[in-house]
Amino acid sequence: MRWGLNTASRIVSIAVLGMVTGGLASLAAIGFVDLVLLLNEWLLISPRSRFMQQDAGLLLIATVCVPAAGGLIVGIAHRYIPERRPHGPPDVIGAVQGLDGRIPLRSGFLSALTSLVSLGAGASVGQYGPLTHLGATLGSLAARLSRHAERNATVWVGCGVAAAISTAFNAPIAGIVFAHEVILRHYSLRAFAPITVAATSGHVIANVVFERPPLFRVEAVTVGSAPEFLGFILIGIAGAFVAVLYMRAILFSGRIARRLPVADYLKPALAGAVLGLAAIGMPDILGIGKEALRFAVIEHAFAPGELAFLVIAKILATALCIGFGFAGGVFSPALLTGILFGALAGSGAELLLGDLRSDIAIYSICGMVAVASAVIGAPLTTILIVFELTRNYDLATAAMVSVVFSNLVSYRIFGRSLFDVQLRMRGFDLSAGRDRVILGRRLIERYVSQEFTTLAPDTPLGEAKSRLLAARRHEGYVLGAGGIYLGSVKLAEILASEEENGPASGVPVSRLAKRGEPLLTPKTSVWAAMERMEDFVGESIPVIEEGDDGRPCDGGRLLGVVFEAAIVNAYLDAMNDIRREEHAGA
Amino acid sequence: METATKMETEMARAAEAGGPRMRPFPRPAGRSAALGIASLWLLAAGPDAGPGPASAASPDRAITVASWGGPYEHSQVKAYFEPFTKATGIRIDVERYDGGLEELRQQVNGGGLTWDLMDMTMADNRAACRQGLLEPIDHSLLHPAPDGTPAAGDFVDGALTECGVAQIVYAMVAAYHRDAFPGERPARIRDLFDIHRFPGTRALQRGPEANLEWALRSYGVPRQDLYQLLSTERGLRLAFERLDRIRDHVIWWTSAGEPGEMLVSGEAVIVSEYNGRLFDLAAVQGHPIEIIWDGQVYELGSWGIPRGTRRLDDVLAFIRFATGTRPLADQAKYIAYGPARRSSMKLVSTHAETGVDMRPHLPTNPANFRTAILKDTEWYASLYDRIKARFDLWLTR
Repeated sequence: MRWGLNTASRIVSIAVLGMVTGGLASLAAIGFVDLVLLLNEWLLISPRSRFMQQDAGLLLIATVCVPAAGGLIVGIAHRYIPERRPHGPPDVIGAVQGLDGRIPLRSGFLSALTSLVSLGAGASVGQYGPLTHLGATLGSLAARLSRHAERNATVWVGCGVAAAISTAFNAPIAGIVFAHEVILRHYSLRAFAPITVAATSGHVIANVVFERPPLFRVEAVTVGSAPEFLGFILIGIAGAFVAVLYMRAILFSGRIARRLPVADYLKPALAGAVLGLAAIGMPDILGIGKEALRFAVIEHAFAPGELAFLVIAKILATALCIGFGFAGGVFSPALLTGILFGALAGSGAELLLGDLRSDIAIYSICGMVAVASAVIGAPLTTILIVFELTRNYDLATAAMVSVVFSNLVSYRIFGRSLFDVQLRMRGFDLSAGRDRVILGRRLIERYVSQEFTTLAPDTPLGEAKSRLLAARRHEGYVLGAGGIYLGSVKLAEILASEEENGPASGVPVSRLAKRGEPLLTPKTSVWAAMERMEDFVGESIPVIEEGDDGRPCDGGRLLGVVFEAAIVNAYLDAMNDIRREEHAGA
Repeated sequence: METATKMETEMARAAEAGGPRMRPFPRPAGRSAALGIASLWLLAAGPDAGPGPASAASPDRAITVASWGGPYEHSQVKAYFEPFTKATGIRIDVERYDGGLEELRQQVNGGGLTWDLMDMTMADNRAACRQGLLEPIDHSLLHPAPDGTPAAGDFVDGALTECGVAQIVYAMVAAYHRDAFPGERPARIRDLFDIHRFPGTRALQRGPEANLEWALRSYGVPRQDLYQLLSTERGLRLAFERLDRIRDHVIWWTSAGEPGEMLVSGEAVIVSEYNGRLFDLAAVQGHPIEIIWDGQVYELGSWGIPRGTRRLDDVLAFIRFATGTRPLADQAKYIAYGPARRSSMKLVSTHAETGVDMRPHLPTNPANFRTAILKDTEWYASLYDRIKARFDLWLTR
């Protein structure tokens, strides 16, 4: 009876929390997308508003000034984020893989705001990254507010992400898979159940409450001939190279931006102005570029030369915007780059096959998923997006082939995804295993012990020896005035000194004290501590105040010590936590 | 467009939640507000409330409505002009109006305002509102649906604008003669452009309206994105390329009514035409004509109040009455235009003269409405001349 009630209350709480988190994230996603559209209409970014604007001079000024002004706002707002950069999917992945599942609220909402401004002002960035992060922020918030969920914060982050993606694409299954494939990276029933509830809530809200058109729709197309599958493989392989070019361009542009001798907060404005100037000639590069996405599935909407040109232009525009600090995702521009590339491949296939070639839409979509899935490292999600939006087996099968080959190739020459590479550049190498990421985020301050023997610098050696013997310790810490760490002294060294020089009780302990290595600070990660301990022989490691450079500072106070056993325990804890999360039932 | 209307709906919803339902229009304070409440009270009392207190109180109260004449005006007289006068004692004088803003501008700016209310197209209403020729309308004065749904949720998308309340939905549709297609019949709007499967002469309006939308829609572009894509050079090019396919088989008509005659005479086999006229031909006169509802381009007819009218309270009382669920449903007894309220749709019955069930013939019938294209009146309001010139150029090429 009691057991039954417990189970029931557990299931109800999972369902309710899933629905609440999913509903919140979904409404936020709808609001975000609608606001972007509205801003694009007001700020003369959308083709419709540009076409309706009769005043050519005003249009010209707006084309340059709107992205530049948007960039300025974004640049200034990013000064209020601790890392001085917008947060995005890599931060969510880091938080979830590191097991804490805490998304900082201020950075989260500020990033959503700057993404909104970036997208609204026509920067060439994506909207799904910001939506993922916004969903994750709301999920993390829900976990914090609910006593019940605190322990499984990562799952609620996953719920928020799944609902946001499910809403944005109107594809609930893709939302569920995305949360698992990209964010959680494991399957457990405890996570799967609430995430499914959340994604379904998002779908219901997106589909029933606010009806909206799907991102792309392709009407009944079929693959005409079997040899075309060879073509889809080739599109996958070539798409991987396009994806790698795209990702390298983004990283490269970021490096240029860092070296540029311009104040950081002005860099997005600079990029905006350059983008605006380029957009005078080709307005297609402004914004998400949904129109080009629609045209690319229409036969002969573009000439092959135009397609090649636009692929390059879109890659450059996106690299410029993201590298120079606009806030926004990388998925939508990757979709656009990919679909244009696919249409180009389709034009090529037409030369070879003539009328035998299947509908251009199949080629476009194969190119789209080949590039986009490699960028975000989500093969299953992208296949499902295609399947859910078109409900067409032929198309999904063709897309599957391209996606698989694209991911195989880009994994080899670049990495699992842009997110993973960005995380690695920040010091979290997910390919090295999740334990390493978790220990890289756990700080040594949790394991600091106050159980150590302190010695004043003028303590005579004899007294030091007897105090250490009485405390049954091998080491003592010599502290100056105000607790400043001067060095460590080992019992063995006192004994050795007595052996050599005879009992010289008048010698002060400071004579033997050595500034030990390694030294830690409270903010040292457990992983870093483990690495520094490799050659360490001893009982405990001193933890010293942190200097401005983040390293133990000279003349810093001793805050405590960390025992070797505590670090081994920390490692075992992490392994346990991983096991508990990844194999949890409902 | 889609989002703009959505936002308006949201705003209206918020306004409704914000204040008491009977709150009169916020601008006129004091005496006129009291009058407004009095007239609303009279409405609530209904026609059986004593020996005509309304007519006794105001022997010669009247409002002047500008409307379109013909069977359409007849439907208004029957559905809400007469019932309103009966309920309130306020007389409705009708003056003829043929669209456009010229006369309205003269009346408002030059003094001598004789119209108190106008029945106008949504495009004209928007343009007039932007030029300050119309009074803003507080949508919270509108009746909720009988089941309690607030007005903002009951009216179709795009019906409530700053200076307008829509009352009817009319549509430009494609239609064909059944005898011309004994085998497979056209069912989708893209069939209009398929000269091989559905051969024969088409009759289309000599202008961009509906033609461009249908042409681009035939590529599978979602209807919500049509105007964004038509705003690009590429989109226009594709639309005209699709029209190129059939241009040798098209007769271009200029006034409504012509295409119906061509269909009946066999001069054309597929035509574009307003759905009300096609209803007349098919259901009333019995010609074998079928409407292709897929891709219907619908528009709203809307009430607008000329700025500065002295009978604002009576006019608002009238709008509140005439846009109620029942009067809008009643209008569809006389003409095949759809009520702008979802709740009215459920009450629509048979044609007053022929007894034909009206529901299958209305643009707003859910089965007909699923793939409807909302005409972007803002887009046309600012671009009509340019697009028309482009169309004429294409026509002469």
